[in-house]
Amino acid sequence: MKWKVIEKSKLPALIAELASEYEIFAPVKEKSIVSFERLSSGNEAYLGFRNTKKPPKEVFFPQTEVLFTYRIGEKDVEIVESPAVKAKMMVLGVRPCDARSFVLLDKFFSFGEHKDLYYLEKRKNTTVVGLACNHPLSTCFCTSLEGGPFGKEGMDLLLQDINDKYLIETVTERGEELVKKFPWLKDAEKADVEKAKMLSEDAENAVKSKVSVKDVSEKLDRMFDDPLWDQIYQKCLGCGVCTFLCPACCCFDILDEETEERKRVRIWDSCQFSCFTLQGSGHNPRPSGKERMRQRIMHKFNYFVKNHGESFCVGCGRCVQECPVNLDIREVVGAISTRQVE
Amino acid sequence: MNNPYIPNLAVIRKITTENEANDIKTFELVFKDLEAMKSFRYRCGQFAEISVFGAGECPIGIASSPMDEDCIQFTVKKVGVVTTALHNSEEGTVIGVRGPYGNGFPLERMEGRNVVIVGGGFAFTTLRSLTEFILHEANRGKFKDLTVIYGARNPGELIYKHDLEAWGKRDNINLNVTIDRAVPGWTGLVGFVPAVLKEVAPSAHNAIAIVCGPPIMIKFTMPVINELGFPPEDVFLSLEMRMKCGIGKCGRCNIGNKFVCKDGPVFAYKELQMMPKEY
Amino acid sequence: MENLENSIREVAEKLLSEKKVDLIIGYERGTLPLRTTPCFVDKVEDIQKLVWNASCDANLSKYVVGRKEKVGVVAKGCDARLIAVCVIEKQFPRENVVIIGVPCLGVIDRKKIEMELGDREVLEAIVEDEQIKVKGEGFDLVFPKNDFLCDSCLTCKHRNPPIYDVFVGEKVPEITEANEFAEVSSLESKSAEERWEHFKEELSKCIRCYACRNVCPLCYCKICFVDQTMPAWFGKTNDLADTMIYHIVRAFHVAGRCVDCGACSRACPMDINLRELMKKTEKIMKERYGYEAGVSLEKVPPLGEFKMDDPQEFIK
Repeated sequence: MKWKVIEKSKLPALIAELASEYEIFAPVKEKSIVSFERLSSGNEAYLGFRNTKKPPKEVFFPQTEVLFTYRIGEKDVEIVESPAVKAKMMVLGVRPCDARSFVLLDKFFSFGEHKDLYYLEKRKNTTVVGLACNHPLSTCFCTSLEGGPFGKEGMDLLLQDINDKYLIETVTERGEELVKKFPWLKDAEKADVEKAKMLSEDAENAVKSKVSVKDVSEKLDRMFDDPLWDQIYQKCLGCGVCTFLCPACCCFDILDEETEERKRVRIWDSCQFSCFTLQGSGHNPRPSGKERMRQRIMHKFNYFVKNHGESFCVGCGRCVQECPVNLDIREVVGAISTRQVE
Repeated sequence: MNNPYIPNLAVIRKITTENEANDIKTFELVFKDLEAMKSFRYRCGQFAEISVFGAGECPIGIASSPMDEDCIQFTVKKVGVVTTALHNSEEGTVIGVRGPYGNGFPLERMEGRNVVIVGGGFAFTTLRSLTEFILHEANRGKFKDLTVIYGARNPGELIYKHDLEAWGKRDNINLNVTIDRAVPGWTGLVGFVPAVLKEVAPSAHNAIAIVCGPPIMIKFTMPVINELGFPPEDVFLSLEMRMKCGIGKCGRCNIGNKFVCKDGPVFAYKELQMMPKEY
Repeated sequence: MENLENSIREVAEKLLSEKKVDLIIGYERGTLPLRTTPCFVDKVEDIQKLVWNASCDANLSKYVVGRKEKVGVVAKGCDARLIAVCVIEKQFPRENVVIIGVPCLGVIDRKKIEMELGDREVLEAIVEDEQIKVKGEGFDLVFPKNDFLCDSCLTCKHRNPPIYDVFVGEKVPEITEANEFAEVSSLESKSAEERWEHFKEELSKCIRCYACRNVCPLCYCKICFVDQTMPAWFGKTNDLADTMIYHIVRAFHVAGRCVDCGACSRACPMDINLRELMKKTEKIMKERYGYEAGVSLEKVPPLGEFKMDDPQEFIK
């Protein structure tokens, strides 16, 4: 592990140099919303944010993605596969919770006999530059989910804000290789590294919101028919805000779209939508908000744990902040953990 | 690495209408690419994602027997966008096939044992594949007694009439075809599938039961299966779910932590008893 | 405001204990500053959960359609009007709902506060004496409440619910001066191209989460036009044309029924100003048909009925 430093004032120059080799996605501020956008001459990276509105999953798993295009002839159909990802990509300014979500999504999309190449190819081709959180939000609960404000999972480099400078910590070989390309980066001094360590401890302590996720997974095995679900779902509107803004959620729909081009696309879908599991016969195994809310909670804290060994949540708190009716997942997990169950 | 979302192209060679209502048709497909045809090795009970380009994709159980290397067959009921588009297609149309997906019936477990197949209505398609497979001369010796109970609402709704006739003539299958209510001209069995199963009362000794049908049929058949003494680990059901990717990635077909497209669609009753009742 | 809170609890308790309703739908404290959350009370001992303050922004009439039991709903003017619209549209029987009318001086627009604070998070907030006091890391500020109310509240003509079964507290003076269609007029004065560019820019932020639709009490269709497949009316990707069709058609679907409660704009995670479109349809309804939604239980929304003398000069 090597540490370098860069003056904050020099960061734009570094980004500009990187842009000649990488397609860079970074947080960009547009009025009140900060979201990851492709950097171009028309915008610039903004790193003063708490967390972005939309999670960076969309760099690897876009909301709308063309799977292939096709041409229908008289007696034939020609399928044209989407071109392979050529450009080297970089996602810059990813908070540790969001970087951790990449690790979860990697597990999911590479699991089993069939791999999701659309996601995996982009991931393979991308360097992730993280940005540690000096000031976690009151809604952050990453430390309850194996993460932390200075966490390094899922990233190649971690930028740490130590006032007028960023400490650059290399996490992976890829990160090290990248840093080597910029020999003008100064080595960090001991004081810099210690400052960052102090800030890291402060930040970890600042994550006040604790969610008892560990107790919940096994308990949920016995709670599928618990009357608690009748209470929890009532105020839920069944919209897609929590799922779309969740860094981990990745359910999708596949459609054929025929506008100027004929193509098969996949689009984000949500287990909260009423038609998500609606069958052609008209039967719907999840006919009401109750079943759908139960699915969301069980998937995140029980089913995914069974299949992949960890919860499908990184504690970023976006669903808590953005739910139009303040349905707080932390409260739901809390209610489950204190529930008396046989 | 293969991109699992890209379909193989296949031509509709023949379309057969299966029922009077004309909303169930069997499509006989031949892959355009010979290699694709050869590598599409499937088991009874598996399904494929059928594409009608422009309309979309849907999961359909494979109706042909794997012993049939000439083509693959799918029996499709017209219920929605894709199936309607398929029904409106003509012979010669090029469609897409992705698969085979799913786990299929547990043939290895069934070898050396009596096989009881219980099916209702349109869900009989993969059971047809299984029956044909077992009856094939290369396979018949591996299984013991074969009992098939199949019912539909009325004679017009019975599918695979051609096969039913052929099977009826054989002596190495106990075939029981029934319709829900008596109809003039029908000389076969009358009664709902669960009732007929009770009547036929196949022995549970050294036997495996395979049950496929609409939820209502399953609901009333399972108690009879239990009464007859079939242990839950020897009873298998094939479930239906809304599916899109077919490979366990789009997230919609799960029952508990299992995906019907990947860990199913065939589940042992014992397994189902331990899964959430969400299907 | 505090008196109203106690009065609401008293009314709710009476209704529940006298079994006039099976369920009270109101607001309870949220888990974040400046937030409340919908609350469903069916036991008298839970009545104390109910709160009333300037953060009671959820539209509770959303939770009435589809219920079989008798409900008592804490309703601001806009909420009560929407219940009225749903009753007129036969979505549930009038006798199944007890409208607990509460006079409202406006709800706080959290987005305005977020704009003001930038990246700073509110950790504590107190609203009293027409002021919003917010505290966070390194700041302790006071804002005049009226500068941070929702735009829909600034021109609200029905701060007192026009339809109710029980009225809590004293009637408040109605706003008479504000021009509720000022924003619309400003847009109308622009050219068609300018307006098109404006809406393209606003709606390009849309992520098709349908929070706007799902938060709206008028969107109660079992299968929304978005989800219909045979035929599919438009695409579900975030192609801009499809996204614009969604919003424009939804504006038409709620035309003549929308009361400008502002819930759609508040719910939008991408801060899209959705009210603009709806407000225009509201203006047309008022000018053309002299109709205002939800102020009477007798008058059917104009787009829901046909009369021989309906203006139709546009049919040539």
